[in-house]
Amino acid sequence: MYFIKKTSYQQDIDHFKHNGQRFWYGLLLLTILLTPTTLSDFYLGELSFVFIYAIVGIGLMLLVGYTGLVSLGHAAFLAIGAYTHAVMLAAGLPFLASILIATSFTALVGGIVGIPALRMTGIYLAVATLAFAIIVEQIITHWESVTGGFRGMAVADAEIFGVSFVDATSYYYLCLVILIACILLALNLLRSPSGRAMIAIRDSEISAQSMGINLLRTKSIAFAISAGFTGVAGALFSHRIGYLAPDSFTLLTSIQLLLMVVVGGLGSLQGVIYGAIFIGMLPQAIAVMKDTLPAVIGQLPGLEPGIFGLVLVLFLIYEPLGIHGRWQKIRRYFEEFPLYRKATYKRQRSYLRTERVR
Amino acid sequence: MSVFQAKDLSVSFGGIHAVREVSFTVESGEVFSIIGPNGAGKTTIFNLISRLYDVDSGTLIYNDEDITRVSPHHIAELGIARTFQNTELFEQETLLKNLLIGRHIHSRTNIVSEFLFLPSVRKQELAFRQAVEDVIDLLDLQSYRDQHISNLPFGIRKMAEIARALCLQPKLLLLDEPSSGLNPEETEDLSFWIEDINEELGVTIIMVEHDMNLVSRSSNRVLAMADGKTLAIDKPAVIQNHADVRRAYLGD
Ligand SMILES: Nc1ncnc2c1ncn2[C@@H]1O[C@H](COP(=O)(O)OP(=O)(O)OP(=O)(O)O)[C@@H](O)[C@H]1O
Ligand SMILES: [Mg+2]
Repeated sequence: MYFIKKTSYQQDIDHFKHNGQRFWYGLLLLTILLTPTTLSDFYLGELSFVFIYAIVGIGLMLLVGYTGLVSLGHAAFLAIGAYTHAVMLAAGLPFLASILIATSFTALVGGIVGIPALRMTGIYLAVATLAFAIIVEQIITHWESVTGGFRGMAVADAEIFGVSFVDATSYYYLCLVILIACILLALNLLRSPSGRAMIAIRDSEISAQSMGINLLRTKSIAFAISAGFTGVAGALFSHRIGYLAPDSFTLLTSIQLLLMVVVGGLGSLQGVIYGAIFIGMLPQAIAVMKDTLPAVIGQLPGLEPGIFGLVLVLFLIYEPLGIHGRWQKIRRYFEEFPLYRKATYKRQRSYLRTERVR
Repeated sequence: MSVFQAKDLSVSFGGIHAVREVSFTVESGEVFSIIGPNGAGKTTIFNLISRLYDVDSGTLIYNDEDITRVSPHHIAELGIARTFQNTELFEQETLLKNLLIGRHIHSRTNIVSEFLFLPSVRKQELAFRQAVEDVIDLLDLQSYRDQHISNLPFGIRKMAEIARALCLQPKLLLLDEPSSGLNPEETEDLSFWIEDINEELGVTIIMVEHDMNLVSRSSNRVLAMADGKTLAIDKPAVIQNHADVRRAYLGD
């Protein structure tokens, strides 16, 4: 076993605990930076998707994995980010201003959605966020003058200070830079009082309150932050798909996003990356599989969503800890629903009983 | 000078009158104990003070301020910290993280500076860590610092709760059965720590406790209750020989 010698409190605060970590993460970054020299445009595009999913994953992980609040409405935040960005670009705003507005607006909506979360957890919150997503989908479909309704709307090309980010390689780097920035922001939050307040709420609301944490404020902020990250991702997503339509942001998208953090492992930022690779690459893997498998299986209709669903179920049954992660509150809600309250109550009473014996 | 005052507190759950017209005053610098058989309503009184439950009637006064209706998180900001009978720790995190959460009310940084981890945030983190380490040293928890709470034995979790409460730097500390789950040696240590917390840190303590030995050693005055009602408030020695108290424990 390897022990780290700690000589300063700074070491517990710093992102990299020792030089070994610096080396391996440095090597990883170098590999990612050099990737465009070896891969075709198609795969670079797919990797950009992975980066974008990872940004959503960070936002969703902060909410689900770190604050213990579930959301089945993140496709809506993705849509709000994407459409706001596209509309702002169409109105003639420069890229950076537009993406900033898209992010802030999505965060604001998230903060408002977060307020009812004070009194809701588990399956109720899942249903409430789902309802929110349906409302957003309806607005997008019917507000034709702005969003183009079912016909959809084209997204202007990405261009920052006169530099075009249209080709696969440059867009790959743009997404990568924003992803790294998002990872750093999330890591910073998690080593600060506000991030710890979110974690406290996840593990015990009663205790969190008694430590002086304002539940309403913290939950609302957690939603705002989560939506904000998803908003940035939405803006990047809009360029990647080039043409926005309501059917890019359905319930299935929300479930896929949730699948990402569950598969990755709730309560870990590394898990987000694994999850993003998983949901970004699975369709490709399935496509390759289709070609190699006998036609009877390969050409089955609904093969892709079927595999997605199967994987989710297998994870929930056999590896609830995800690829990288551990037990978290939210899964307990789903697994034990509707017995959750009862079960916790029972456990406490049995404690009391043993004390009586003493 | 009185730090805390409860006036005619009553609360009931459905048909159960958990607390009925209980009044008491806690003086500054005092260790005030609450005793009573199981189900007497002791924890309920703590939950009323922490504002986890609303009173049906009665008033809570803290330093001349009426706190009967303030929000639960505001109680901590006023300098009232508590522990829980069956422990309510942040299970998935390390002891260190739990104690840092205990510093929450002392945070002065805003979310933007935290996202950027500006020097002011780093400075505050180092100051928090220093304060947390002081508490770890006081309660001898050094060897558990980086362990996850869910791996700790019950006795250590009870101490971790006290440590977390101390990280708030409270003026009033509510301890709910601190000795339950501790072995005799640990209980012995606990009595010294309670003394230290009370005398050296100058914290006023309200303690719910079953161990009469610990109660008589540590506390200045004792409130004895049964079935939600006050039996007597007096010095430990007097309470131990009080006829009503003996009857409540032994049964009729
Ligand atoms: N939230 C609640 N809902 C319903 N009944 C409650 C609730 N909280 C407490 N009670 C009831 O109020 C009574 C007093 O409970 P309380 O927990 O205050 O007792 P206690 O004196 O702390 O006992 P113990 O020594 O076992 O900890 C009990 O009958 C209990 O069942
Ligand atoms: Mg109790």
